[in-house]
Amino acid sequence: MQFEKQVEILAPKEKVWNFIWDVDRFIACVPGCKEAKTIEAGKLYSATMIEKVGPFRVEFPTTIEVLEREEWTRIKAQASGVDNKIGSRMKLSLDVNLREQGEKTVLGFVAGVDILGKLAALGHGIIKRKADQVLDEFAQAVKKRLEGDS
Amino acid sequence: MLRRFRLEEPQSVTEVSELLGRFGESAKVYAGGTELLLAMKEGLVQYERLINVKNVDGLNQVTADNGTIRIGALCTHHQLETSSVVKQKLAALARLEQNVANVRVRQVGTLGGNLCFAEPHADPGILLLALGANMIAERTASKREISAEVFFVDAYETCLEADEVLTEIRVPVPEGKSGVAYLKFGYLERPSVGVAVALRVDGDGKSIEAAKIAVGCAGPAPKRVPEAEELTKGRGVDEAKTNLSKAGEIAARAAQAISDLHGSQEYKEHIVGVLLKRAFQNALSQC
Repeated sequence: MQFEKQVEILAPKEKVWNFIWDVDRFIACVPGCKEAKTIEAGKLYSATMIEKVGPFRVEFPTTIEVLEREEWTRIKAQASGVDNKIGSRMKLSLDVNLREQGEKTVLGFVAGVDILGKLAALGHGIIKRKADQVLDEFAQAVKKRLEGDS
Repeated sequence: MLRRFRLEEPQSVTEVSELLGRFGESAKVYAGGTELLLAMKEGLVQYERLINVKNVDGLNQVTADNGTIRIGALCTHHQLETSSVVKQKLAALARLEQNVANVRVRQVGTLGGNLCFAEPHADPGILLLALGANMIAERTASKREISAEVFFVDAYETCLEADEVLTEIRVPVPEGKSGVAYLKFGYLERPSVGVAVALRVDGDGKSIEAAKIAVGCAGPAPKRVPEAEELTKGRGVDEAKTNLSKAGEIAARAAQAISDLHGSQEYKEHIVGVLLKRAFQNALSQC
């Protein structure tokens, strides 16, 4: 499942960039994400992702690895996690880019999400919709947090 | 394989509500179990306790009361497809129930369970929306009536509170010269698109006095489509028929169709339009 999102933030690029690397504040914008830890600053992080669709609940202890980093401009990362309780695996590839547009910064990201295992029995469509919702909420939360700060 | 769980056997709605309140998300109401037990066997959900409501008296009756059909939440699909009251007063619901899943599911699966599980590919909720049904939800010290329009929130999600129990479905009997149709399209037992239309025409059958349109299965939850209804309601029959293409487009968008193995979003939207026209004609022919 591929998703492309873009959000305009009324804040300078540097502020957005610094926010992304402030793990605690950034993680607070990811719906269902908790217990974020820095394993190796700028390279390796861990977090637990908890999501619900009706009565179905998944909890993915997730490792996030930063693959590429172009200062002020682009981050490429991947994440993966396994929920052993329901036998499902989540894989995420994330390409984040920042672009200046006057007083605003356009934060764009392309996310590839794969859900494997029993959870897939819920149906591709339902999972895709949920992932789409999570990414939308995330984008709006980042915007709100940054613009609220300015 | 099913993991171990404790089976609670309450005898009243109050006891069910108390158990739900006490054990929260670790407990779940169990009626027919046709969907819940499958999900549990797959390991998709786990509950420490199942609250068996099948011993609660008075929840498996169908009665006609002053222009309303009261359906106990524990009525099985089979009960409804064979009920003389339903066949006489709500023929469209009886027909729908004849085609729910398969005979094994219909024998044990309950209407209340179907509505509460809120599986997106389910037929009954769509027709109940078009019929203007209300759900009765009870808890220890209170009872409330919920319109079908607000009952369904999202995929697998209803507006029931954690300790509320669905006890009854109240369906108004269509009045005057009316007709109701539910049509679905799908793969084997799984509906991919469902459309329901309920109409009432005036005395000489020349104009549409009332129209209700609902869609479901294609998206996360069934939905009534007032904007599509407006294109037929209060209009001459011919004008309403002419407007059906536009109404179909509006209903298709409202369905929030999701692409999956059984069809793309565009395909399902097209099918909504086709079924809407056919269901409208079918309902009209009954008036």
